Amino acid sequence: MIILVEKLARECKIKSQDLITRPIGRSLFEKAMEKIKMTDKGETVILDFENIKVIDSSFIDEFIVRLIEISSTEDFYIKLKDISLMAEINIDSVFHSYSNYKDKRIAAAREELGRNNKYYIGPLTQEESDIIDYLKINHHSSLSELLRFSGIEEIKIMPILQELYSLRVIKKINNEYYSV
Amino acid sequence: MIKESKDIIILPDRFRDPYTFESVLSMNSSLLESSGTVDMSRIAFIEPYSMISFLLMGRNFLRKRGEKLKLIHIPIHIHQYLNRMDFFSKGIFILTETLPEGMSLKRNPISNRLLEITEIPGKERQGVNALSSVISIFRKRSELILKFWMDESIVDYFVTVLSELCQNIFEHSLDSGFVTMQTYKSGKENIARLVISDSGVGIRGSFEGKKTLNYKTTSQLIELALTTPISSKREFGYGLCQVNSITEKLKGTIFIRSESSSLTVLYNKIEKGKNIFHRNDLPYFEGTQIAISLSA
Repeated sequence: MIILVEKLARECKIKSQDLITRPIGRSLFEKAMEKIKMTDKGETVILDFENIKVIDSSFIDEFIVRLIEISSTEDFYIKLKDISLMAEINIDSVFHSYSNYKDKRIAAAREELGRNNKYYIGPLTQEESDIIDYLKINHHSSLSELLRFSGIEEIKIMPILQELYSLRVIKKINNEYYSV
Repeated sequence: MIKESKDIIILPDRFRDPYTFESVLSMNSSLLESSGTVDMSRIAFIEPYSMISFLLMGRNFLRKRGEKLKLIHIPIHIHQYLNRMDFFSKGIFILTETLPEGMSLKRNPISNRLLEITEIPGKERQGVNALSSVISIFRKRSELILKFWMDESIVDYFVTVLSELCQNIFEHSLDSGFVTMQTYKSGKENIARLVISDSGVGIRGSFEGKKTLNYKTTSQLIELALTTPISSKREFGYGLCQVNSITEKLKGTIFIRSESSSLTVLYNKIEKGKNIFHRNDLPYFEGTQIAISLSA
């Protein structure tokens, strides 16, 4: 499912290209959830930010972070698309603060390469980053292919894959791993 | 402070920057005890931070005394400027003189290197509406306001700064506040100054419930808020940290004053050594006053 955030904002009677403040984040979250409830289990929800210039930390907290938090229990995946430079900086800052202070990491897959040269935003390790890149390029992969590519022992790669799956930045279907 | 007579306080020409304005703030308690007539004849120049702080002084007077400060002998060019910035439209002061007919500054597109003083209400819903309106006007005028610094991302950086600081007013200060911005010339320098101020609970008051924070002075707490994602309401926050990081990227300066303390961070002079300045012995003034400046 693709959610055009600009259109979602218009449905909430917000015409601005800047999405800021908690109340606006809360309104868009409620509106997005109405749509997400209609998706299939395990579906990727692309949040397309085309034409949106600035999203601030309060909006990110109430919209993106809440969607990611609820994505495990509701079984969907979030992917960000067409993020502006400023939005990327602000999302990255919120995700890093969240991860530092909640003792629980948060990250989001993204459609295009960011200024960090990665297909995600958030505080992931180099090994985790390499796996996401590999899956992005190959779309999906078996465990044996990932072992061969990464050179990591099976006993060590399993918790990494499990963590990436918990973070909802990769999918696991049967014994195959998929990019979001 | 100069008192012309028992009833009239003469303000000095100290409205040029946040540092010189301290001498006006030091008159605040005398002002509150006075009859409330202020002579402005000596003022030759007013920049945005001093203007907003003086507006807050007037509002505090009105709240505490139940009457408005009377401004007299305002030089015409100062009167024109304050009128243009919507300083008098807030209903805080009494004017004994009006501008002569045809002397008001025109509100044409060429003079739009500014954001007029706008009140940010203390309640969330009204605060959000006011903030959205300020950002919309800023976007329309940004090419003029930020003419000397213009690049692809600077407008978005300033939208983030405006958003974070104005939200602090209705999320933390327990008061309403004011925002303004202007680009002006000082000597050979062009200065863009964004000012967001309130007379609420102040930074120390806002963080009162956070017993885990380790600081001795209010200026240390301000520095903590600038450099660490702490929040008074939630487990962590981002606002001032993000503002600090953006100001660093833009090589600007931050001045934050709260109660009797201030912190100045100069990112434009890092190569010259120390760039953070703490003060904790200033005259008491309620709330939090913030100025973000760029120079070119």
